[in-house]
Amino acid sequence: MTMDAAAGTFLIAIVQVSLVLGCAPLLQGILRKVKARLQYRRGPSIWQPYRDLRKWWGKTPVESDSASVVTAAAPVVVLAAMVSAVLLLPIVSVRPPLDHAGDLLVVVGLLALARFAMALAALDAGSAFGGMGASREVAIASLVEPGVLLALAVAVAGAGTTDLAGIAAHGTLAGWSMFTPALLLAALAFGIVALAETGHEPVDNPDTHLELTMIHEGMLIEASGRRLAMLMYASQLKLVVVVGLFAAVFLPFGSASSAAPLAVAAGVVFASMKLLAAALCLGVLDAGMAKVRIMALPGLLGLSSLLALTALAAHLWLPA
Amino acid sequence: MTVELIELEGIGRLALGVAAGLGAIGATLALAFHGHRPAMLAAAAACISITVVGVAVIFGSPIAIRIGDVLGFSLIDVRYDALGGTFLVALGIVGTAASVYALGYHEAGRSRVDTLAYVIFLASLALVFGSASAFSFLFAWELMAISSAILVIGPKPGRTVVQAGYVYIAMTHLATAAIAIAFALWAAGAGSPDFAAFPAAAATLDGPTRDLVFLLLLVGFGTKAGMIPLHIWLPRAHPVAPSHVSALMSGVMIKAGIYGLIRFGIELLGAGPAWWALLVLAIGATSAILGVLYALAEHDLKRLLAFHSIENIGIILLGLGVALLGTTLDATPLVVVGLAAALFHTINHALFKGLLFLGAGAVQSATHTRDLNRLGGLARLMPLTALTFGIGAAAISGLPPLNGFASEWLTFQGLLSAGGATGLDPLARFAAYGAVGALALTAALAVACFVKATGMTFLALPRSPAAASALEVGHSMRAAMAALAIGCVAAGLGATPISAVLAGVARSLHVVGGDPVAAGALVPPPTIGTYQPLLVTAALVSSMIVILAVSRYRAMSARRAPTWTCGIAPEPVFEYTATSFSKLLRMYFERVLRPDREIIVELHAGTPFPRRVTYRSEVDHLIESRVYGPLHRASIALSVAVRRVQHGTLQLYLAYTVVTVVILLLVTRA
Repeated sequence: MTMDAAAGTFLIAIVQVSLVLGCAPLLQGILRKVKARLQYRRGPSIWQPYRDLRKWWGKTPVESDSASVVTAAAPVVVLAAMVSAVLLLPIVSVRPPLDHAGDLLVVVGLLALARFAMALAALDAGSAFGGMGASREVAIASLVEPGVLLALAVAVAGAGTTDLAGIAAHGTLAGWSMFTPALLLAALAFGIVALAETGHEPVDNPDTHLELTMIHEGMLIEASGRRLAMLMYASQLKLVVVVGLFAAVFLPFGSASSAAPLAVAAGVVFASMKLLAAALCLGVLDAGMAKVRIMALPGLLGLSSLLALTALAAHLWLPA
Repeated sequence: MTVELIELEGIGRLALGVAAGLGAIGATLALAFHGHRPAMLAAAAACISITVVGVAVIFGSPIAIRIGDVLGFSLIDVRYDALGGTFLVALGIVGTAASVYALGYHEAGRSRVDTLAYVIFLASLALVFGSASAFSFLFAWELMAISSAILVIGPKPGRTVVQAGYVYIAMTHLATAAIAIAFALWAAGAGSPDFAAFPAAAATLDGPTRDLVFLLLLVGFGTKAGMIPLHIWLPRAHPVAPSHVSALMSGVMIKAGIYGLIRFGIELLGAGPAWWALLVLAIGATSAILGVLYALAEHDLKRLLAFHSIENIGIILLGLGVALLGTTLDATPLVVVGLAAALFHTINHALFKGLLFLGAGAVQSATHTRDLNRLGGLARLMPLTALTFGIGAAAISGLPPLNGFASEWLTFQGLLSAGGATGLDPLARFAAYGAVGALALTAALAVACFVKATGMTFLALPRSPAAASALEVGHSMRAAMAALAIGCVAAGLGATPISAVLAGVARSLHVVGGDPVAAGALVPPPTIGTYQPLLVTAALVSSMIVILAVSRYRAMSARRAPTWTCGIAPEPVFEYTATSFSKLLRMYFERVLRPDREIIVELHAGTPFPRRVTYRSEVDHLIESRVYGPLHRASIALSVAVRRVQHGTLQLYLAYTVVTVVILLLVTRA
């Protein structure tokens, strides 16, 4: 029995990790396709991100004369942080692939680790664009972080634990009754900051190459070859991690609660549908929204923190 | 079990004796033979003994020593228990590193008085963490204040240093006065200055007096800890002290304030009303956010680090706020998790802030500047300093798997547990959730600030000739930094057993039941989530290994070429500076920071073409300009007013005396 249980956990872990690691570029491809169609363009194939990754992977990186070891180490650290975050998230099942290792605070911490390494690497080449990108990234992240944690705190308050497995299990057990007014407000709050965290409109344009408007692309400007492939893949994984965090906390429906093949298959289908829905939403927003002026971002992202605080007040004072 | 305790006590007593002896030898060497290096060696050995004492009392039974009776009161009356031992460990580790560092770090013009003051400073800190009576405590406290003031001012101070020293001395005496009054009110009820009699006396104090005692303790210890709004001495005093002293002041001395708050405000004073906890949470959140915002606006490396000390004290206060909320409910789990978080962050901050100040000192001694806008490119010239500073920066930014993340995680756990505590008033729970947002904002801003500090100091092209010609520092300084960096990694990886030990320390306090055996027991603090640093590290490291194996290490080798700067040769002036890096955040938080900028454009004569553009940006420290400014002016106005009665004639003073005596007689007659 325990052997079976261990084998089942292992199976779920393999399925989830290969689903996420394999399909992260595809998600970006679909997102871009949606955006292109909405802009009356045909757009590149949904498999284009794979081709780009393969192309960069085959090239020798070129680094700046002023680069230190940070430029070489950062892509490895960023990618490892994202892969570790994938291991801590319950996406296909209600249990994460690496169970009992870390809660949602650790996932948020791993995202911060990636941001730290990426911003340092952006400064390493001594280009003004890298500095600009890093400066904007860390500034916007500091507006995002309170919203993320306050929105997650609403779910923690409901489930009584910060473990994602516990929160997901609580949600699947509660069914429709998990959608309290507080949780809906928190989901909205998380949604707003998720746009900024994944670098989408109205905060950042992932397709821009106009120097003065870049945030994420600005940090990558000096990266090339295999290192660029790692960083781009990491940012595709980050999209899945942020969407997966949202799904695990606010929409845990359909996640496999056992290792039965049917449950796992259903979990894969539900997880894919959630990711597709996210790609669709982000594509529509990317195509339909203009970028907010960078000085107006505190208003937009502060709104998220205020919504989450309202949600917490609703949780504390509204009768259940 | 008992045999073990006796042995530990024996080891502890022996180590205490060795520490005292070595300290005395160090002091003699410093004074008599002008021996800076031998004195520092003795100090380092004494600090190792202090660490042993700390560990012995955490896992064993308390050690009490009483010497030097003066009129029935002992100047040295110490009793080290698990709580004091925790702070001794922090002192021992940072003190050892700072003393070893000082072997190779000697500022010009520093005299034997400084070396002596350093040894006395270490001894006074060790005494503060164990004093068992009010007299002994205030004696050690003043010794600590005066010896550190001597170290800050130095033998040949310039004008700004004298001002910094003056503000420091004034503020530290405000602290001593507040603590002394609190002790006097308290001891009056106890009938004895012994702290052993304080808990019983606290129970007899009436409500308003207890509130007053708590507020006085908060003012006194909060000033020493550098909490906002009593912080103004800290960013002045820490940067001007020699770097190993800055490391000790920031890493350990300000923790004496935290020690005092835990010992007197929580343990001995006992449970209070909920507003005590809410006040501490509010001060903690304010200190954390304002501390890191002012650090962001700073481009002097050591001042930046000093403001981060205010931020980290704020984070520690959030943990104490959770513990205070727990005492109002008599909820042991909340008290334990809050205290464990505060103690863990205290130790972690000692490790990484000590490391960062030592790193800043290494940068300063190699380049003779602390201005981030004149640094850069040091990673290739000073690789070990860069690596250790980078580890310290990642630790203080709260990144897994380092130690800063572990204690911030525990603080988040405490705040979220308090938010979910159904017994608490909803307003208190809401405040705990609000503090979650404040801590998240602080952590993200700390990442921003340390990307700036590390990037501007160590990466890209050097921004001045001094930075371009820097040389790596000597062996002893490197060894000290490496030791503390290893400490940051080890405390991060060992977070689970360490937080269990600290939870034991919390359980051994009176307020939680006072079970002294609990200190040695390894029961983790009650949390509502999981963080296994070893598993997370294993995930990170194995991912890295797989990535490196798949990419066959080719990612590490690259062709080198100049950075593309639109066709002209790259120059340092193209790089973002510390000022430009933080501009966006300065503008986002302009209501708090009030940035004031000045742009001067000099033109080539007779043309519209600029010859030179100067940019200057400063932030307004609201608390200084709005609170201390008016206070300062009012105190001067009062002094001027009082001066009118000072005529300098003897007859007038005699008349004052007569009037005073008559008034006193009239008052006492009734």
